[in-house]
This record gives sequence, C-alpha cells and structure tokens, in this order.
Amino acid sequence: MDAAIVTKDLTKIYAEGRIEVKAVSSVTLQLNEGEVVGLLGPSGSGKTTLLSMIGCILRPTDGSIKIYGNEITGMDETTLPNIRKKYISFIFQGFNLFPALTAIENVLLILKLKGINKNVSNQRAKDLLTVVGLSERMHFLPRDLSGGQKQRVAVARALAANSPIILADEPTGNLDYTNGRKVMEILRNLAVEQKRCVVVSTHDNRIEDIFDRILLMEDGQIINEKRRLS
Amino acid sequence: MFYVALKIISYDKVRSFITLLGVVFAVSLIFAQMGIYLGLMETSSIIIDHTPGDIWITSKNCKNFDFSQPLPEYLYYHVLSTEGVQWAEKLIVTWGIIKQKEGGTEQVEVVGYNPDTGIGGPWKMKIGDSRAVKNGNFTIVDDSAKRRLGDVKVGEYREVLWKRLEIVGISQDVKSFTTAPIIFTSYRLAQKLDPNWIGPDKTVFVIAKVSPKYSVEQVIKNLKKRLKGVDVYSKESFSMKTRLYWTIETGVGFSFLLTISISFLIGMLIVGQTIYNSTVEHIKEFGTLKAMGASNFDIYKLIFSQALINALLGYFMSLIITLLSVKIYEATEMVMVVNMWVNVLILGLTMLMCLSSALVSIRKIKKIDPAILFRG
Ligand SMILES: Nc1ncnc2c1ncn2[C@@H]1O[C@H](COP(=O)(O)OP(=O)(O)OP(=O)(O)O)[C@@H](O)[C@H]1O
Ligand SMILES: [Mg+2]
Repeated sequence: MDAAIVTKDLTKIYAEGRIEVKAVSSVTLQLNEGEVVGLLGPSGSGKTTLLSMIGCILRPTDGSIKIYGNEITGMDETTLPNIRKKYISFIFQGFNLFPALTAIENVLLILKLKGINKNVSNQRAKDLLTVVGLSERMHFLPRDLSGGQKQRVAVARALAANSPIILADEPTGNLDYTNGRKVMEILRNLAVEQKRCVVVSTHDNRIEDIFDRILLMEDGQIINEKRRLS
Repeated sequence: MFYVALKIISYDKVRSFITLLGVVFAVSLIFAQMGIYLGLMETSSIIIDHTPGDIWITSKNCKNFDFSQPLPEYLYYHVLSTEGVQWAEKLIVTWGIIKQKEGGTEQVEVVGYNPDTGIGGPWKMKIGDSRAVKNGNFTIVDDSAKRRLGDVKVGEYREVLWKRLEIVGISQDVKSFTTAPIIFTSYRLAQKLDPNWIGPDKTVFVIAKVSPKYSVEQVIKNLKKRLKGVDVYSKESFSMKTRLYWTIETGVGFSFLLTISISFLIGMLIVGQTIYNSTVEHIKEFGTLKAMGASNFDIYKLIFSQALINALLGYFMSLIITLLSVKIYEATEMVMVVNMWVNVLILGLTMLMCLSSALVSIRKIKKIDPAILFRG
C-alpha cells in the first residue's frame, strides 16, 4: 500500500525582487495513515510553507511530492483540484467559515463540493457535529459561536469529508489553552479511530503529547524527529 | 450553490437591499425607455399598420408617412390596371392649420380618404360613422386631439385652412406621433383644402391590394416596371421606413439608446461592485473551498448565482413597477409598449448586466494566494 504522503528533497524558495528566501529546504519524509504528526518549530522555520506544498496549494521550487502514489509536482490546475478533492482537507487558524452559513451548512457545503451524496452527507454532518460537541449549536451562525466552537466546526468539516489527509495550520493559534487542547483531543481521537493522516503545525509545546510523531523544523529543514513510545 | 448564494445575499441585508434598489432603478428605467420608444414607433406608423392593402406607392425618395409629396392622380389607374393588383385606393396626407375656439391656431395632420371604402380612414369610432365625411365639408377628429384642440364635439364647426368644417365623428386610437392632432376628411375635400399643394388631380399615396394568386414581391416588381418617378413599398417596409426615419434621422433613437445604455451601465456598476466586495470579503472562505478541492468553476457558480439572484429579483420587481406605471402612462395619452418580446429582451439584458458585472470577480478567484488562508 502507498504511504499517504511521500516527499523527496522538497524545496521552496520565495523570490521577492532580488532577495530569495529558502523557506523549505530539501525535506524528505514519509507520512502514513493513522499517524497524527506534529510539525513544530520557531516562527519562520517553514511549517506553513511545507504544509501548503503537501496540501497541493503551493508549488514547490524543487523536489517531488507523492499523494497516495500520485506524483503531483507536474500536475496543472485542471487536475490538481481532483487530487485535493479526493485526498485533502484543511483546518486553519482563522477557521475560515462562511459567516452567512450555519455550522451544519458550512459542513454540508464542503461535502457537496467533495461530491458526497446528499442523503449520506446530511447524516454525516450531524454525526460529526455531535461528536465534536455541537449537537445543540448545529444551526448557529459562526458569529454566535465561540472561537473553540468555530474551530470544532472546522474540525467536523475536515473530518466529514472523508479525506484521508487532514492538514491543520496552527489550529489552536486563536484559542486559549483549555479550548485548544479540547479541539486537539477531539481531532486526535477521530483521526486515530478513522485512520486518517493528520499533520498539524504548531508553536505550542504544551500539546506535544497529542502527537504520535513530532517533526522539529528550523530554517526550512527537519532537524529532529521524535516518536511516541507505545 | 444557489442556496448558498441566497444565504450570502440575505446575510448582509442592507447591502443587498441597496443593490436590489439599484437594479430595480436601472431595469425600470430601461423598461420605461424601451416601452416609450416602442410606443412612439408604433404610433409613428399607426395609420399604415391599420390600413388594409399590401403595397404603398409614394413620391420618389419619400422618407416617411408624414412628409410625402403629391403624385398625379392618374397613377391610380395605372396601378389598378397592373397585373396582380386586386384593388387600389388613393389616400391624402397633408398639413393644415386649425383655428382654436378661444383664439390662436394649431397645426393638424389631415388625412383624406375615400369614405366609400374607408381605406386609410379611422378604424375605430367613438362617436359617429367613418362614412359620414362624404360629400361635404365634414371632418372626424380623434379623441386624443382633445388635449390640443380643446373639447371637440360632434355638430361643432372648426375652421381648417380657412374652410368651416363640421365635426361629424370622433375617432379613437389614432394617436399622433408628430404631436399635431390627426383629423380625417373625405379624399375630395382634402384635395380642395390646400389647392396649391394638392389640388383636384393629385393624390399623395396609392395603396394596392395584391390578388390572391400573386406574391407581393412579384406585384411590386410589376408596379416598378410600369410606373416611373415613384417608390413602391410593401406595407411592412413602408411602416419600417417610417419608424427608422424617426429613430435614426431625428436622433430620437439615439437619445433612447443613450439612456438605456447609461441605465445598463449604472446597473452593471452597482451589481458589479457589490459582488466584487462580497468576493473580496469571502476570499478566505473561497480559498478554503479551493484548498479542499473545489474547482474555480465551482466558485464561479457561487458568484454567478449571486448575480443571477440580483438579476431575477430586480427584474421581477421592475416588471411589476412597469406594469403598474403603464396605467399612469395611458392616462396621459402616451403609449408604453410592454409585451412578451420586450419582457424577454429586458430579462436578457438584465441577466447580461448582472452576470457580466460578476466577471470582475473571476480574476480574483483565479488568483487566490494560498498564503491568505493561513493568516489568523
Ligand atoms: N508568500 C511568501 N512570500 C515570501 N516569503 C514568504 C512567503 N511565505 C513565507 N515566506 C517566508 O518563508 C519563511 C517560512 O515561512 P512560513 O510561513 O512557512 O514559516 P512558519 O514556520 O509557518 O512560521 P510561523 O510559525 O510564524 O507561522 C519565512 O522566512 C517567511 O518570511
Ligand atoms: Mg505558519
């Protein structure tokens, strides 16, 4: 079976005028289903850049990425959406929920775009919102939800879509410790249970214990790797 | 997608209301301008369109119904004896001065027709009979002329071109395009009213009816071969020529076109800027959809749905406003045309206006920078 994500010598250089910034430098790694991976490192170390490339929304300058065996580095904007549709969901620091749509409508919109049958998606959206603890607030608009609740909607949205890969960039960045931790625990439990491959970039050392595997980044490179002893 | 677009629109009620108001304003103006224009055009050829017969023979280079030159009357007999002509009739259209009861004068357009056949005469009478103008100094005045001529009554006398004429009937629906009221007399009287211009041996038009077995084109060809120094038109093309004359050569059409275009542009700007703002405000959400596999096309559908909702809501509100205001127009003796074709045309224009205005947002979606998604 193919690994969820395989990168080889993945490099991203941002060129702004004459200044070049090597944001990610020759990253080679393999990530598997059922793994919850933490991407840690100081600000500017390249976490977000790496995550964007893995998520097929940013083109690498060099190197290759395989998503379930599909080499995506050569693909153009007509085929890439299909890869993203099939394999990838995101959770962002800023939640990025449509303010005009209720919690459940935000989840359903993604399910529709992912091409999931309407009868199935209704039930699935309800189930997941219940699992993340929002059964009472499914029909609330984002403005009527707290930050932690909004992020739980985003988690439900990412998981409902059945994408095998879930990428989260600073998902606790806008939340206090308790709420952040709660969201991360929900994400972890569901991911393990459903054998997803989850990659989370974060500054927050206090949630290290959530991860099965921790990749430590610095200056665009992975300088250290820790695995949970189990 | 339509549902999501509807939710987005109804979320920001104030903005959506203002946008809708803009669309309704623009589209109602287009309705009114187009309706009035078509009404005027209908009026400009109203007598041609209501006169039986298939072919109109006019003086050379005649530009329209209202300003034609006299023709020798014997042409009528030539027309009558041309192959394929079933019947022919003469019709005079000329200008006159009418004395007002309380002093002053008004210009009138005098139509002289044969009262025995009624061809070219009034097609709908409010009071009296169209044959009543026969054998005497009689006239029929249209009901719509009351605004200019005061209260005209059957039995009264009015002086037209220094002849006292008795009003013997009131016609209906013969609205005047030139604003000079239309009055009818017998063909013979019309010749005598202005002896220097028309006179006893002249007509202005000859109208012909094509025999059942002949085609109009064929008979026009026959007539052109036979008659020299005249123009020969089918009824439809003479009607169209008259309309085009007023549309193009007087600048009337241009001013309507200008107003319609400006309304269209205003509507486009209002919708365009609302949709653009909304797109910019939702750029992170749209980017998130893209990051999870939505194609650009999926998101265009969402944006165009918003435009479409604006178009449809705006259109139907404008239609209602227009239908209500038609009644007001009728009260002022003006004609505003609102028919199936106008409705469909304006629906198309409204859609074009709203959808094309959404195009500016397309570029924004195509070029979403993934970096913005990650900003807290
Ligand atoms: N769009 C961009 N254009 C130019 N340079 C960029 C861009 N995005 C990131 N960089 C640079 O690339 C480097 C890595 O940035 P990145 O955002 O990946 O780091 P990060 O680890 O996610 O940081 P943080 O923890 O602050 O989110 C930084 O030096 C940053 O300034
Ligand atoms: Mg970052």
